[in-house]
Amino acid sequence: MSVFLLSLYVLIWPVIVAGVLFVLGRGLWHEIREAKREGRSLI
Amino acid sequence: MVPDGAGLNQLGGWTVISLLVLFFGGTLLMTFFIGRKNENADGYMTAGNKVGFGISAASMTATWIWASSMYASATSGYTYGISGPIHYGLWGALMILFIYPFGKRIRAVAPKAHTLAEILYVRHGKSSQLMLAGSNIVGSLISITSNFIAGGALIALLSPFNFTQGIVFIGTGILLYSLWSGFRASVLTDAAQIFAMLGAVIIIIPVVFFATGGTDMFVTGAANLTPQQSSFFSSDAFLNQGAPYIAAVLAYAIGNQTIAQRLFAVREDLIKKTFITATVGYGATIIGIGMLGVIALYAGVVPLDGDTNNLIPQMAATYLSPVLLGLFLVMIVAALSSTADSDLSAMSSIMMADVYGQNIAKEGQANPKTMLFIGRITMVVATGAGLYFASGQLNILDLLVFVGALWGALVFPVIASFYWEKVTNKAFTVSVLVALACFIPVRFAWIPMSGATGIIVDILATVGIGVVLGLMAFGFFGLKVAKIVAAVAILATAPFAIGFLHDYAILSGSLVAYSVSTLVCYFMCFRNQANFDFDTIKERIGDFDNRQETNHESAEALLEKKA
Repeated sequence: MSVFLLSLYVLIWPVIVAGVLFVLGRGLWHEIREAKREGRSLI
Repeated sequence: MVPDGAGLNQLGGWTVISLLVLFFGGTLLMTFFIGRKNENADGYMTAGNKVGFGISAASMTATWIWASSMYASATSGYTYGISGPIHYGLWGALMILFIYPFGKRIRAVAPKAHTLAEILYVRHGKSSQLMLAGSNIVGSLISITSNFIAGGALIALLSPFNFTQGIVFIGTGILLYSLWSGFRASVLTDAAQIFAMLGAVIIIIPVVFFATGGTDMFVTGAANLTPQQSSFFSSDAFLNQGAPYIAAVLAYAIGNQTIAQRLFAVREDLIKKTFITATVGYGATIIGIGMLGVIALYAGVVPLDGDTNNLIPQMAATYLSPVLLGLFLVMIVAALSSTADSDLSAMSSIMMADVYGQNIAKEGQANPKTMLFIGRITMVVATGAGLYFASGQLNILDLLVFVGALWGALVFPVIASFYWEKVTNKAFTVSVLVALACFIPVRFAWIPMSGATGIIVDILATVGIGVVLGLMAFGFFGLKVAKIVAAVAILATAPFAIGFLHDYAILSGSLVAYSVSTLVCYFMCFRNQANFDFDTIKERIGDFDNRQETNHESAEALLEKKA
């Protein structure tokens, strides 16, 4: 495997993790707001 | 920060204490917001079956990612080279995905269940239920132990504290915040812990990559790798790590109550979304952390004391700045806490629902207060047992593979029990016991594998390949496709596997567990004339506690009431 591909192979994972973190954060934010609006506990 | 005897950077004692107090104190504080004055027993086990996507996906991801899996992925990268982390993380991630169709079926059959074993009680009876519940307890206990070991080893390496002090800090912290609110505390804190974990992964991997030389490392360190380690298609990595793990984690996902508990907690329409997000989150995180093992291999790092469990903390202590080393500590503590608190609440649910609710209390007469008391006592006892076993410091990767394979014996009988009306309690029990009796001597090489024995083991293992792939296909595409996939897999692998597979004890042991349990269960049931009505499960499994949950009343609410 070339040096470029190896570097990409190592560094791609944090980028994907960042994407997942964004999705989770957005979902959580919506739920917190919804729970607040409805006056109930988050869980 | 001071370097220790081995030239590694360490955090000062007070820094570690402050970070742990901040982490566990913050987590405990979060649980105060969801604390109920009168906790509901069902809420304590499943949080009311209506948890939203953000929290459930975060919790599923956090629970699946444990400190041990981070260590094991790095070990895999270090041992098997560039494909090593894939053969650990990718298969683990895909198993979350493969389990989701079964999850949907289980939820449809028993929407108000608390544990999988509880459903087996209604489906079959006591022996099947207690067999699954017992294996869940053993698995969770091993999981807690390995997470405590990971935490103790980390604190011993990064601070002036020793291993025993480390596991006591960790065990006490987790127990404190889990004890009162149970599962609800576990999922809420998971959501916060996943942000710490994933945030740290995003920063730490590139930092270590560039600190070890960046792209140049792949040129200067290429000589450190064997041809197998340099290959992305390494057969060594597949046969020793990937294949046994594929077999083990399918069983792990079915046999693990922490996953089942989240399945029963999430809102039913969000199951798919939750599982897919957790698949991607787990895969990227664990493969990413495994890259630290690959980097260590290229950089020529030798694990401290020859123990690969030290590899990740050692890389962090060598290449990270004090601030990032603190962040790394928080990442590992978050990973192990999120899994350990899930295991505590899983064990407490099993003791509450399966042992007390269905076997000690008379039907319909379980006392919710007694249930809660049992749940909390279970957490205390389980933490004590985990600390006791952790002091023995066992090999984490071996433990993971062993338990996964042990659960392999349960996979077919459990899945079949949710789809096939003909499965009986006797068939379930006998098939699991026979499979275990065959698995153990193969796994530990108690019998010589020369001659006919080796061939018989290979034939069973080949059937096991068909069972594993067939089950995966069954979840998504139904019985017809599953049968075709299983048949093709058996026919395609037989010429290569027979006469060869028995050399790989871990892999063939797991596959034998799958095939034997499947064959015995099938042949004991296919002529059965009685058909089970799955609607019975829905009718017989419901809430244990019909009391209203009582919140701690806020000052605002009290004023309103007064007015």
